Amino acid sequence: MNEHAVGSGYDFKSLARGLIPYVLAVVASFAAAGIFIAAMGYNVPQAYATILFTSFRTPNGFVQTWLKFVPLLLQALAFTVPLTAGKFNIGGEGQLIVGAIGAAAVGILLAGLPLPLLLPAVILAGILFGGFWAAIPAWLLYRFGINEILTTVMMNFVSFSLIDYVATEIWGDPAAGHPTTVPIGVGGELPLLVARPPLNSGILLALFAAALVYVYVNRTPGGYELVATGANPRASRVFGINVRKMFLLSLILGGALAGLSGAIEVAGVQHRLIEGLQSNFLLLGIIIGLIARGNLLAVPFVAFFIAVLEVGASALQRTMMIPVEMVSIIEALVLLFVLLSDVVRRR
Amino acid sequence: MTDQPILEMKGVRKSFGTVVALDNVSLQLTSREIHGLLGGNGAGKTTLMNILYGLYRPEAGEIALRGEKVVIQSPKEAITHGIGMVHQHFLQVDSYSVTQNIVLGTRLRNRFRLNLDQEEQRVRELSKRFGLEVDPRSLIEELPVGIRQRVEILKALYRGVDILILDEPTTNLAPQEVDSLFRSLRVIVEEGMSVVFITHKLREVLSVCDRISVLREGRNVTTLSRDQASEEVLVKGMVGEGLDVDKSLLFSAIGLDQEALQVGQQPVLQVEGLQVVGDAGNPLIRDCSFQVREREILGIAGVAGNGQRELAESLVGVRPIAAGHVRFDGTNVAGMETRELLGMGITYIPEDRLLDGFLPAANVAQNLILGYHRQEPYSNGRFLNWNAIFREARALISEYNIITPSAGEVAANLSGGNIQRVMLARAFSQPAKLMVAHNPTRGLDIRSMEFVYSKLLERKKQGMATLFLSEDLDELLLLCDRIATMYRGQIVGILERSRFDKYEIGRMMSGVTTHE
Repeated sequence: MNEHAVGSGYDFKSLARGLIPYVLAVVASFAAAGIFIAAMGYNVPQAYATILFTSFRTPNGFVQTWLKFVPLLLQALAFTVPLTAGKFNIGGEGQLIVGAIGAAAVGILLAGLPLPLLLPAVILAGILFGGFWAAIPAWLLYRFGINEILTTVMMNFVSFSLIDYVATEIWGDPAAGHPTTVPIGVGGELPLLVARPPLNSGILLALFAAALVYVYVNRTPGGYELVATGANPRASRVFGINVRKMFLLSLILGGALAGLSGAIEVAGVQHRLIEGLQSNFLLLGIIIGLIARGNLLAVPFVAFFIAVLEVGASALQRTMMIPVEMVSIIEALVLLFVLLSDVVRRR
Repeated sequence: MTDQPILEMKGVRKSFGTVVALDNVSLQLTSREIHGLLGGNGAGKTTLMNILYGLYRPEAGEIALRGEKVVIQSPKEAITHGIGMVHQHFLQVDSYSVTQNIVLGTRLRNRFRLNLDQEEQRVRELSKRFGLEVDPRSLIEELPVGIRQRVEILKALYRGVDILILDEPTTNLAPQEVDSLFRSLRVIVEEGMSVVFITHKLREVLSVCDRISVLREGRNVTTLSRDQASEEVLVKGMVGEGLDVDKSLLFSAIGLDQEALQVGQQPVLQVEGLQVVGDAGNPLIRDCSFQVREREILGIAGVAGNGQRELAESLVGVRPIAAGHVRFDGTNVAGMETRELLGMGITYIPEDRLLDGFLPAANVAQNLILGYHRQEPYSNGRFLNWNAIFREARALISEYNIITPSAGEVAANLSGGNIQRVMLARAFSQPAKLMVAHNPTRGLDIRSMEFVYSKLLERKKQGMATLFLSEDLDELLLLCDRIATMYRGQIVGILERSRFDKYEIGRMMSGVTTHE
């Protein structure tokens, strides 16, 4: 947590001061990446323009950016909320997958229901399944003190097998060449905000969830306890906060957010369960959470920036034949430079 | 005493970040003297001596030993120059014997057989010569703090130092042990060595030191010989002009006024047969029984580590109670959670403020509401009221003199003394019927100590009860209506104010029980 994460609005100056290292980090990482791009023999300004402006030049790029933004934002929150309490949720991927499984299961089993009933059920199933998947490591931590980093990571691997099983054995679509389920009921599909190119209303759900999380952490006593627990669990315990409960709660909350992103992938984008729908959102989500330094207000902006880079990356490959990994390098460099700015400031 | 200085430090300057800890400080030490280095917390006494001992490097200034300029870069070099230092926290290997600890890091005669007979003989000699009684064969972990300190002094003597620095050596000693330490120091200087004695306690410097240097806020104030010094002169030197010495609680000879001496009848806290056990089932508190009444300050005296911390923590619900009754305001509260206890009107100043009471990454305002964040006006039960929180925080910052740029400042940027003021503000601002205060003045300068004392008395006058755990016997004697002394998890005896006797309490602190 940094200073303006909580009770923000009281300290605009520190907000401005906090932005400087971000800007410098982005500039520095682009400069560093430019060296590589030039060394590989590509046109550097054109590459920069492609990375940064693809999202804003075509309707398709714009919609693609928002579609990427939704899971990135939710994954980043799934990582950041437990981080507020000082716990590391590295299981957002598994929670997304299991959330997606829950959403797909409800969408397929109750396929006949009309939209007002089925859609909420699908979304809720995603949230509950994601929360449940995080509740297992959370309970192991609560009950036995088992390190949550290990257990959340390991739960990811279980989920990979689970989605394979569900998408081939239970509701597998024999016509598909890849583990995929049959589609969910039409009533379970998220309505479109823009028809062409299709932008589903999952973005509203994601932003609403982000707003709820922000209000909870910054404006409620429970959120205060989360922050206090993250700042000093021992002192929090001495002053009456049940810190083990806060650990439990924060991890389950993170799982629910990841589960929501799984439900949105199913109900909004794919309309079915597809193996691999988790993409690399987990790692990007962690990077976003770390670049934002756990600041919930900064997370959406960083997530949008990363979504722009990601969309730029695919365009880079399509139009200039520069490998997408170049953009991963830029993202990693931004993170490194932001972290470096901490070290520099401390000196 | 000769006038030839054995050591001279001149124009020493040292800063940490933006804080200037020492500014142009000088010190002269002659041979065969006990030199008192007096000052409040943060005056720079320990920093100056850490420079001499090679732990810090000064930014300016020079050190001359026996007339020769030296640069001391490490404690090892300091020892070769004949300078030894005993810190407040001893660095000892608990599972080693006294002799093993003393010879650690020196050249051994039987390096391959590790036969320490000759070394042990020398430790015995030194121990006898300087009146530092200790059995060279006992294990460190079995020894009380007072003896472990003797080991630390012997360690320096064994290395043949001729300048011995003692940093607040009396903090954890019973009065008898203090007397015995002072006798040993006298023998040490009579043998031709010199001693620098760091302390913030006036009476100690006046009783043992030959000369006294006073530091304040990193500057030299004065150096006096004992016959020139008086309590009043030293107090003025330590505190500056800001404190009215005549009205001071800490320095007035009169003590408390009549109003402050009255005690209520109604018990607020009743503890009967309290037992607390450690993780391994070992008893930490054994059969403790006492009461704290309205308008009463009950002191808990004792050498650190005799169960005071466990007592405080079990009363505020941080540590489970194994057996016994605890009644607060008539209600049985044993086994209740901290949250409930805080809500019922108990407030707590933990001993270890950084670990047990402080949120470094949170801001000052958030720190000020910890534990009370669910209560009005900070919260209406559902949402926090940041406006009220910041309003209250600003009021507390000015009332308690917390030095911070704003209530939104990250608390980790505060200095140690200011962090302690945050703890105090949080606890004293609650209208709690019972306060459990554990070493509340630790790390505070004299003016702030004075402030804490007045706040404690203010609570008392309002009819509230306080359990005051402290290792500083002087402050307990000053403020308490009764003092209970703890030794190895038990209350050895409780004395009424009219029967306060420093030496009696000292005997109880070292486990000697007398029958009343």
